[in-house]
Amino acid sequence: MTDLAAELIGVSKRFGPVLANDGIDLAVARGEVHAVVGENGAGKSTLMSILYGLHRPDAGEIRRDGQRITLRSPADAIRHGLGMVHQRFRLFPDLTVAENIVIGAEPVRRGHLDRAAAHRAVAALSEKYGLRADPSALVRGLPVGVRQRVEILRALYRDAEILILDEPTAVLTPGETDRLFEVLRTVAATGVSILLVTHKLSEVMAVGDRVTVLRQGRVTGRFTTRETNANELVNAMIGRSLTPPAPKRAQPPQENPVLEVRDLTIHDADGVARLSEVSLSVHPGEIVGLAGVAGSGQRELIDSVTGLRGAVPGVFLAGTPVLSGRDPRVAYVPEDRHGRATAPGMSVAENILMGAQRELGSRWSLPRAAVKKRAKDLVERFSISAASVDIPISALSGGNAQKAVLARELTRPSHVVVAEEPTQGVDVGVRERVHALLLAARDEGAAILLQSSELSELRELADRILVLYEGRVVAEFQGDAHETDIGRAMTGATE
Amino acid sequence: MTAPALARRVVASAPVVAVVGALALTTLVMLVVGVDPTLAYPALVRGAIFDGNLEYTIAAFVPTLGMALAFALPLRAGEFNLGGDGQLAIGGVTAAALALLVPLPPVVAVVLPLVAGALAGGLVAAIAAPFSTRLRIPAIVSTLLISAPAVSLASYLVRFPLAEPNTGIAQTPTLPDASHLPFMGGSGYVTIGLPLIVVLTGLWLHIDGRTVTGYEIRATGQNREFARYGGVKVDRVAALALAGGGAFAGLAGALIVLGPPYRFVDGALTAPGYTFTAVAAVLLASARPLAIPVAVALLTVLQVGGLGMEREAGVPSQLTQIVQGLIIVIVAVLATVRARRGVRG
Repeated sequence: MTDLAAELIGVSKRFGPVLANDGIDLAVARGEVHAVVGENGAGKSTLMSILYGLHRPDAGEIRRDGQRITLRSPADAIRHGLGMVHQRFRLFPDLTVAENIVIGAEPVRRGHLDRAAAHRAVAALSEKYGLRADPSALVRGLPVGVRQRVEILRALYRDAEILILDEPTAVLTPGETDRLFEVLRTVAATGVSILLVTHKLSEVMAVGDRVTVLRQGRVTGRFTTRETNANELVNAMIGRSLTPPAPKRAQPPQENPVLEVRDLTIHDADGVARLSEVSLSVHPGEIVGLAGVAGSGQRELIDSVTGLRGAVPGVFLAGTPVLSGRDPRVAYVPEDRHGRATAPGMSVAENILMGAQRELGSRWSLPRAAVKKRAKDLVERFSISAASVDIPISALSGGNAQKAVLARELTRPSHVVVAEEPTQGVDVGVRERVHALLLAARDEGAAILLQSSELSELRELADRILVLYEGRVVAEFQGDAHETDIGRAMTGATE
Repeated sequence: MTAPALARRVVASAPVVAVVGALALTTLVMLVVGVDPTLAYPALVRGAIFDGNLEYTIAAFVPTLGMALAFALPLRAGEFNLGGDGQLAIGGVTAAALALLVPLPPVVAVVLPLVAGALAGGLVAAIAAPFSTRLRIPAIVSTLLISAPAVSLASYLVRFPLAEPNTGIAQTPTLPDASHLPFMGGSGYVTIGLPLIVVLTGLWLHIDGRTVTGYEIRATGQNREFARYGGVKVDRVAALALAGGGAFAGLAGALIVLGPPYRFVDGALTAPGYTFTAVAAVLLASARPLAIPVAVALLTVLQVGGLGMEREAGVPSQLTQIVQGLIIVIVAVLATVRARRGVRG
C-alpha cells in the first residue's frame, strides 16, 4: 500500500460518556472504492465527520498524500480535496443544476455569474465521469437519483480527490442504485477515491474494493471484497452470525380480511389524484408488502388506513369504516422516527406510554409508578438497551428507539399492524430482531401491511407484494417473486 | 448524582448564570452612570422585603404568578399566549361588573365574580384557538392581536357603562363590601388571593405531571405530529390549554379588582406590566413548572424593590427593567449556544 490518498491514524473521539471512535486506523488508496460498514452507533458517521472537518478528533492524526493535515471546518476539508455527499441532499431546489454545482466557486465575468462558462464546466464534468445531468434543469423537478448525481458533480467540480458518500442508496430505487454504482466505478477509475458508508452488505460486495468494519467505535475487520463473503462481514459487524429467517407460510390464511380498502381515491389540495381506485385486503396471519418508489401514494394510503387522514370512505377494519383521528385498532410503526413516531424530548417511558395513557390513568390521575413499570417491562421484553426509562428517547441509538416504537405498537390491542420502513437506519442485528418480531406477530394472527423501499426485506417477509405506481396498484406478486420483476413494475413498465 | 456534581450543575445552569450575569452587567451600568451599587442594592432589598414592604411584594406576587401560569400552561402545549393583558382586563371588568350590578349574598359575592372573571379570560384566550388550529395563524400572533381590542373594550366599559357617575375619572365605583376579598392575618394588602393562587398552582403542577390531560398537553407541545399520531385530539388539547391559560389571566384580573382599592381603575391592571414580567419569569424558569413560582418571586422582588431603590438611592426604577431584559437576553443566548453545541454531524 504505497499510493495512499488519505490516512486516519489512531483517531479517537468522545462525546460525553460515549467513546464514538476509539483509536481508528483507516487507509484509503487512490482510485479505490472503500466501504466503511458497521451497525448504527458503530462510529461511522463520527469518523466521516472528522475526515470532513465537522468534528475535531480528541486524538490521532489525519494524513493526505502522506502529509499530516489539520481540518478545522468543511472548508478546510474541501481545500484538501475532500468532498462529501450527505444523506440529506443540500441543494437549492429553485436553482438550476449548473448553478447548484458551481455555487461557492462560481466562474465570474465582470462581477456576474458566467452562466455559459458554468454550463461548459458542468457539461465537461458530466462527460468526463459519465454522469448525465442537464445543466439548465431546475433541481426541484429532478428525481432523487439525479439530485444525488448533482451532489457528486458538485464535489467533483471542487476537485475532490476523495469522495465520501453517507448511506447513498437509502433514498434510491434498485435501478437508481445500480446506476449509482456504475457511476462510482467510473469516477474511481479516474483516480478519485471513494469512501462508501453503508450498512447494506450486498452493496459492499457489489461495489467495494476493500472494506473496513467498525463495531462500538473500533475497527473489527479489514477485508478485500474479492476475498471475503457476507457472513464474514456480519461476524465482524455484530460479533456473531445471523440466524436464517423463519420459513414463510406455505398456505395463505383463508379467513375474512381484517383490513379492506375498496376503490380508494384521494386527491391532494391541488386536485391531483394521489391515489386512484386502490383496492387491497389483508387477512389475519398474513404480511402484505407494499413496494413502490417514494411518492407513489404510500403516504396517502397509510394515512388513510390508520385514520390519520380522517374518515375516508372505502377503508374498513374488521368490516366497519376506519375511525377518524387514529383508529385505535391499528398498530402503526411510522417511518419518520423523530417527526412522528416519537417525541424526542420526552422520556423513554412517556414515549412508550403513548396510546395506553387512558388505560393506565384517568383525567385526574396517571400514576408515575405504573407508567414506569410498564415501560421497564417492555424495555426488558424487547431487549431495548436504555440506561433508564427516564432519559429522553433521543438519547437512545436509532435501533433502540425503533425497538421502543415497535414495543409500543406491537403490544397494542390491535387488529392490523402497519409498518412503514421498519428497518430504515437500523443495523443488521436490530433488523433481524425487527423481522423476527413482525413474523412472530404474523404467526399470532396479526394482519400486517408492510411498506418498505428495500425489496429484499419485502421478499423476506411478505406473503404477497403489491406495487404502487403513481397512486395505483399496478401489480401483485407472490412474496418470492424475482426482484427485477418487482423493480420493473415499480417504474411503471408494463410487460 | 453526587452532591458536588449537583452543585456544579445548579451553578452552571442557565437561570443562575442569567441572573448573576444580568446583575453584574447592571452593576456595571450603575458604575458608569455614577450610582453607588452599595447604596442601590440594599435599597432594593429594603424596598422589596423590609420596612413593611414584604406585604406589598406578596400582593404583587399573586397576579404575577397568575399571569405566569397564563403563559406557561399554553406553552406546555406549544402555544405562546402573549395576550395576557387582554385576558387580564376582560377578567377584571367581568368580575367588577358582576359585583356591581348583581346583588349577591356574602361568599357568593366573592366566589362568583372570581369564577366569572376566569371564564371570561378563558373565553378571550379561546378565541385565538381556532385561528391557530384551523387557519394555522400562530397563537403568538393571534393572542397578541386580540389583546389590544380586549383591553380597549374593558377600558370602554369602565369609562362609560360602568363608570363612577359624576367624577369624570375612568374607574368604577367601589365594589360592595360583600365582594371584597378578605385579608390574610391582619395584613392590609395580602388577601386570600395568595392561598388561592398557591393552591391552583399546585393543582396545575399535579395536572401537568400526573394526569392523562397533562401528559397529552405535554405530548402536544413536544411534538404535535407525535401526539396526533398517538390518537390525541391535538386541536382540542391546544384550545383547552389556551383557554386554561386565559382563565388564569382572567382570575388574576378578578383578584386585582376584588382586592384593594376594590374597583376597576382603567389601566391599573395592565400598567404594572404583570404580563411581561410573567413571560420573563417563565422563560427564566425554562418552562420548568416547579421553577416558575421561584422565578416569579425573584422578578417580583426586583420589580417592587426597584421602586424602593428609586425612592432611597435616586436610581430610576427602569433599571430593574434593564435587569429583567438582560436576564431574558442571556437566557436566550445560552439556549442558542447550547442548541448549536448539541448539533452533531
